[in-house]
Amino acid sequence: MPISAASEDQVAIIRNRIWYGLLFVLTVWLALVPVIGGNLPFYFYLMLWITMASAFNIISGFTGYMPFGYVAFYGIGAFTTAILTKKLGVSVYFSIPVAGLAGVILSLLFAKTLKLSGIYFAIVSLALSIILRLVITNMPEEITGGSFGISLGSRAEPVKSFYFMLVTLLAALSTAAWLARSRLGKALKAIRDDSEAAAVMGINVPRARLLAWMIAAFFPAICGGIEAWYTNIVDTETAFDILITAKTIIYSIAGGLGTVTGPIVGTVIMVVLDDLIWQQFPLLNLFLLGLVIVLLIQFMPRGIVGTMMRVWPVLRRYIL
Amino acid sequence: MLQIEGLSKRFGGLVAVNDLSFQTPRNTILGMIGVNGAGKTTVMNCISGLYSSDTGRITLDGKDITNKTPHDIAHHGLGRTFQVPRVFRRMTLIENLLSTVLDSPLSDAELVEQATSILDEVQLHELRYNYAEELSGGQQKLLELARVMMFDPGTILLDEPFAGVNPGLCKILIERIESLVDAGKSFLLISHDLTSIYRLSHHIVVLNQGQKIAEGNVEDIKNNPQVIEAYLGN
Amino acid sequence: MYEFLILNALVNGIIIGVLYSLIGCSLNVLYGVLRVVNFAHGEFIIVGSFFGYVLFTTLGIHPLLSVPIAAIVFFVVGYGLYYVLLPRLAQADDPETSSFLMMYGVSLMLGAGMLMIFEADTRTLDFRFSPMSIHIGTLYISTARLVALGVNLVVVGLLTWFLYFTLYGKAFRAVIMNREAVQIIGINIHRISAAAFGLAAGLAGITGVMISLVFPAFSPFSGPDYTLIGFIVIVLGGLGHPIGAIVGGVIFGLTEQLSIVFLPQAMAPIVGFSILILVVFLHPRGLFGKKLLR
Repeated sequence: MPISAASEDQVAIIRNRIWYGLLFVLTVWLALVPVIGGNLPFYFYLMLWITMASAFNIISGFTGYMPFGYVAFYGIGAFTTAILTKKLGVSVYFSIPVAGLAGVILSLLFAKTLKLSGIYFAIVSLALSIILRLVITNMPEEITGGSFGISLGSRAEPVKSFYFMLVTLLAALSTAAWLARSRLGKALKAIRDDSEAAAVMGINVPRARLLAWMIAAFFPAICGGIEAWYTNIVDTETAFDILITAKTIIYSIAGGLGTVTGPIVGTVIMVVLDDLIWQQFPLLNLFLLGLVIVLLIQFMPRGIVGTMMRVWPVLRRYIL
Repeated sequence: MLQIEGLSKRFGGLVAVNDLSFQTPRNTILGMIGVNGAGKTTVMNCISGLYSSDTGRITLDGKDITNKTPHDIAHHGLGRTFQVPRVFRRMTLIENLLSTVLDSPLSDAELVEQATSILDEVQLHELRYNYAEELSGGQQKLLELARVMMFDPGTILLDEPFAGVNPGLCKILIERIESLVDAGKSFLLISHDLTSIYRLSHHIVVLNQGQKIAEGNVEDIKNNPQVIEAYLGN
Repeated sequence: MYEFLILNALVNGIIIGVLYSLIGCSLNVLYGVLRVVNFAHGEFIIVGSFFGYVLFTTLGIHPLLSVPIAAIVFFVVGYGLYYVLLPRLAQADDPETSSFLMMYGVSLMLGAGMLMIFEADTRTLDFRFSPMSIHIGTLYISTARLVALGVNLVVVGLLTWFLYFTLYGKAFRAVIMNREAVQIIGINIHRISAAAFGLAAGLAGITGVMISLVFPAFSPFSGPDYTLIGFIVIVLGGLGHPIGAIVGGVIFGLTEQLSIVFLPQAMAPIVGFSILILVVFLHPRGLFGKKLLR
């Protein structure tokens, strides 16, 4: 039962080496893709999903909430970017960060829902995202493009948006890593495991989880904005698609909630599988996604990394 | 010092606690006994802020903490354990302890050292990197105590610390509690284990159906006819 | 002019509301007895709609006869499905969230499965009652809807009788009240849970057939709409409370039909969701249920 007698300092050195090593490999590999003519769309979306899964993990794996309306932040980010860029002629480099801000503001508007327990939070979150979608769809066409959406014109710049996404990915991963080692991160995990006991031990529960919620809302909004730039079009059907939430959740769970590497591992495996095998058979794709979810929950509810950590406790000290 | 005046709490039609008053000075252990349902845990939940009290005043070291939020109360100097251990299951033992001192100005390394030595005192040192859920029930009770020790409040509430714990671990628990009292802490202790309560407590309060039916030192309580009747029936 | 629309909305609101109540009741049985939040419930129902549709188009079976057939078939399948899906979940860190997610996976599988077998077109049950509609006062009410109302009321009545007046039903309610205690007194928790799953599935099957009578069309994509309606109904009425679902369903049905009178069709769901959110925050127990704040 006892785990690794190595001192905390020695462990920290190795742990940091592993983490920064992973980040380095990831960065170099991805940065080279446009240069060597690799599959740009594949890697772009890979980065997008890893970012989504990592950010989701912050409110879910670290803090214990499962927002089934997570796509709301993605959608608001997409629309904010589209409106600012197309209707107001603002540069993308400004409108995308503002989109991130929009996500944070939305999270503050929804902050009261954090008082709700498990299932109610999930359902209300879903309801709120659907309301948001309906409201935006029914707004005047001049503002949000009605049901046809907004086209950003010929501003699409695949390579630039690719690198913007890479920077965002690194920011998200670094934030998650910082959180995992920080005191706020410990507070969040305590809240996840038992929020009343956490309060009694002196943790300011409302403040800590609000912070996590805001951070977790920022990144999907940025993702929505960058994707709008990349594909050049935004519409409510795709920007508020519940499948975005679903995939985010599944990719996080597949890797392991509560770990930083979990969302990376889970997303890579699932996206590769999706691309290689399932894109050939679209209907089967959905069916298999559902099947994977069922099998995961049944047999590996803690995901790949999470299960590894349970089975080889030594890993807990070395893997973030 | 913890002081309770006129505390009452009802749940719908059920009066769980009725006009209760007592106090726990420094260097003292106040034992609270009573049959199941007498209201003991409710009192603790009111003190620590998990329940709101209907009437009464709770004062901690001179400050009024009635109906404040649990984390405010904690920061005024109150710690507690739970009848069924509420450890942070998916965090390591070290992390369980570290989570109580997040505002500390000390460095992480110093805190880890502190946590390690506390875990050593309760003989959980070897398991410090295990997840709390991997401990046995009795070990989790020790972990809860270690967590409170790390938090280091002036007043500690213990709810059934000996329930389900084997005699060896009980001994450690008792030793720890006694040394903490000597160091200046005050305790409010709920237990059905009359042997331990009689051994540890300086003073005892007896509850029955939410009311205080007796109060005094160990000898008085042992021989009090009302207490005997309440516990053992006629 | 408005009076007519409102009267129409009231009548149809009650009819549709009772149907929604049935959805809520079956969801509640699952949540109450099993602590499972069935994200696939809408798909169960649509499978029921297709079931009745296939029986009608291939074997010419009268929809009303499909009802008991669906009930039995779905009960048996549900009973078995329990053992496949649920026992392992009890050991999870958070069984409720795990079941929620797993059933989402099931809903994807069922939805995709129906798409593959039936393709994406909407279907309509071409059964005509005679007369097609009944004239009451100034209103013409579709006979199919009245028949559905009748059937739904009977089913809800039977369910209530079962839960409150039979020994087996009381065992169900005992489990709803205290799962652990029930195991101690010797009731086989797995058998009751499987029966509850079967019951909920059977009710979903019946609901599906009724939907094909009450609404003009359905398709493999309709599932999520009904799942969400079910959630709203049980939150309104109180999670786990059988009677609450009935009240919640009628209230929601009325709200929905009345909003369609005053708002564009696309916006009407907003009213329903807003009520959900209001209820969750202002009256956290729902109308009859238990506390749901952290």
